[in-house]
Amino acid sequence: MMKKQDFGVSRRSFLAAAGVFGAASVAMPRMALSQDGKVLTVRSYSDLQVLDPAYRLSLPEEDIIRCIFPPLIMPQSGDVWGWKAIAAESIEELDDLTVAFTLKDNIGFTDGYGQMTAEDVKFSIERIADPAMESPYAGDWAALKEVEVKDKLSGLIHLKNKFVPLWTTTLPTPSSCVLSKRAMEELGEEKLTTQPVAQSGQYLLADWQPKQKTVLKRNPDWAHEHGGFEEIHIIPIEDPATAERGFEAGDLDYTWTSVSSLPRLKENPPANSVVLEKPSLAYVWMGINQDNEALQDVRIRRAIQHAVDRETVVDAAYFGAASVGNGIVAPGLPGNRDGVTYDYDPDKARALLAEAGAEGLNVTLDILNQSERLTAAQVIQANLADVGITCEIKQNDSGTFWTLGSKDGDYFMDLQLVLSRFSMQPDPSWASVWFTPEQVGVWNWERFDNAEYKALHDQGLVESDFETRDEIYKKMQALMDESGSYVFLTHEVVGAIHRDTIEPGLKPNGESLFQEFKPA
Amino acid sequence: MLSYSIKRLGLAVVIVSVAMLMLFSMIYLIPGDPAAVALGPRATEAMREALRVKMGLDQPIWVQFWNFFINAWQGDLGNEVLSDRPVATVVLEQLPYTIALILGGISWSVALGIPLGCWAAVKRGSWADRLVGVLSVAVIAVPSFVVAIYALLVFAVTLQWLPAIGAGEPGDLGDQLVHLLLPSLAVGLGWVGYIARMVRASMLEVLEAQHIRTARAFGLPDRMITYRYALTIAILPTVTLLGVGIGQMLSSAVFAEIVFARPGVGKLVYDAILTRNYPLVTGTVLVTTVIFVLLNLVADLIVGALDPRVRSRF
Repeated sequence: MMKKQDFGVSRRSFLAAAGVFGAASVAMPRMALSQDGKVLTVRSYSDLQVLDPAYRLSLPEEDIIRCIFPPLIMPQSGDVWGWKAIAAESIEELDDLTVAFTLKDNIGFTDGYGQMTAEDVKFSIERIADPAMESPYAGDWAALKEVEVKDKLSGLIHLKNKFVPLWTTTLPTPSSCVLSKRAMEELGEEKLTTQPVAQSGQYLLADWQPKQKTVLKRNPDWAHEHGGFEEIHIIPIEDPATAERGFEAGDLDYTWTSVSSLPRLKENPPANSVVLEKPSLAYVWMGINQDNEALQDVRIRRAIQHAVDRETVVDAAYFGAASVGNGIVAPGLPGNRDGVTYDYDPDKARALLAEAGAEGLNVTLDILNQSERLTAAQVIQANLADVGITCEIKQNDSGTFWTLGSKDGDYFMDLQLVLSRFSMQPDPSWASVWFTPEQVGVWNWERFDNAEYKALHDQGLVESDFETRDEIYKKMQALMDESGSYVFLTHEVVGAIHRDTIEPGLKPNGESLFQEFKPA
Repeated sequence: MLSYSIKRLGLAVVIVSVAMLMLFSMIYLIPGDPAAVALGPRATEAMREALRVKMGLDQPIWVQFWNFFINAWQGDLGNEVLSDRPVATVVLEQLPYTIALILGGISWSVALGIPLGCWAAVKRGSWADRLVGVLSVAVIAVPSFVVAIYALLVFAVTLQWLPAIGAGEPGDLGDQLVHLLLPSLAVGLGWVGYIARMVRASMLEVLEAQHIRTARAFGLPDRMITYRYALTIAILPTVTLLGVGIGQMLSSAVFAEIVFARPGVGKLVYDAILTRNYPLVTGTVLVTTVIFVLLNLVADLIVGALDPRVRSRF
């Protein structure tokens, strides 16, 4: 007779152990991570790939770059656009063509690269402006003549021509981050990717776990204003819904939310959390390709403008969280408009179509495969059907979508209607630049080609008077209306949620500034 | 056995080569300019063209494929477009997370599926048998992403027992296991049903075999007959099934990695497709294809070693 085998765990003891495990889990709910005030855990929508200020790819990278390579100045947190000095002790505009700066003393580079000097500033700025470097951000310093070093810590930035966006969209961005000249020269032609050298900011990149986490730790040698938390853990989560669930489960202290989730979160916020709604700088519009054979007649394009009920489109797509926008310039900036020059008028649309002999028109509407865009497209489809236009919605993944109107492709002339969204920096020139004649077939997919618009765009870059700039950019958007190629929809809103134990550092448009987060 | 092994190995090489050809053809049929996607809106045309040249996209497609094919067989999968890191490094960083996820899924499916299948076979025709049958079909029918979302909402968001995102701290095995529980359940739950049904069917066949009847005649305890003599034979088809199942679990892993914001090759290839990061797409899919083919090869060789009839048929 064989001996009965004893596994050591009876059914009864297994069930008892499982019960204890379950009870312990209930008794010890997981705690929010920032409660000790030391570690802040935030979500970013993408993982870092390039930490070189000259070749940065995304907003989350900009946030990290600003922490480890201090910029001369950076945006201030709050509801008003402004800036605060970081690497600069002082910085001022001497005249339209000269900016004087003095660095803070005792900013040191890691890895034995010594103290930050004005030579490093000269190297970092001129490196981005140098056409040979092929930096996508060379345009930020397009007006740069040279950086003159006065002494160890101070220098002058000389411009070739007046450049008004310098203080809003160049200096407060990573385009003014200071790298170690010696460290970069030792790297040669290589760019910084995921392994930074000679860090010098308020935080140091301590650990990067690809696709999982980036850890920033306070720089012990930073002798000036410290960041609010000892460590910042940045979790890359592309999907906002996943991030919202992560927040609700207690795994995150701060995250952006999708606009469509805002009403639900505002109505029923998770415990111990604060839901924020910030105005966005983004602009969403339906573009109409004026070079497409079926849409060359401006009356047809104007008919489409009159056929779309913008209010309903925006309400349906954003669940009432966003309001209708009237152009490319966001509220609060010079050039923001109260209305467009076309109203929702289906009868007028039908009349224009009849006048153009375009009854029974068939069009396609290309969109990115996101739920908000699809909902907006479906309402537009119904609006167009109401005036006799049959609209086929074509969904595209991001890789396909962002090349649809490119002159290098084979679809740009077949493109008819397209639902687009761009974001911008807090200067109207950042919005208007994409619709200039040079951008036709690049990012100007409507192929809107207007010399007056271009002249006004150039004028806006050198005009510093707010009222005059306001008039310039309003006139430019009126020209866009007249072309019939644009149906402006919304500027959206930015949703965010954070624990009530932290005070987030955010730009007026809700974008994060990691150094500015503080315990509440 | 040697002849059988060589034939199976040759077949595996052919499968991987064909898969590479199909993969390469497919990604080049997808519209979209990887240079434009990678460099963003502020890049000039010259910058985009330079990147296209760097990626070899200016070469005829057959040249691109030949270079890829030759380099891949030499173990060189190229460099990632954006960060310029070696693709092999990027994939190998992510692979352990996916392997852990799939092993976790297999653990759930084996730990639940085999006992349920045995129980149903032993209790043939009873309410327990019918219950297991219904449950098996139910869990097979529920897609893994639905399991993922509901498991997350219940155990992470509502009860807050388990984490919702991430893979745990490197070096902290306990934390990593806790982070693995829900995603692996999502990946493995459907396979509980498959395995339970497969084990039940095999067990019923084996329990009728003569040596089992002999064992009963000797008066051996039912538990010993079931688990020591019947199950060891009935488990064989399950090994083959799991070999095939790993492929399906790999596809489920993509959803689990996205829903639970876990690192892994599924998420890696998903992101790479969206950004048209071709070297990363081809490298990642090639590595997972090789793993899948190798695992099936191992499963076939195990079955061949255990069952001479399989060897003689091949």
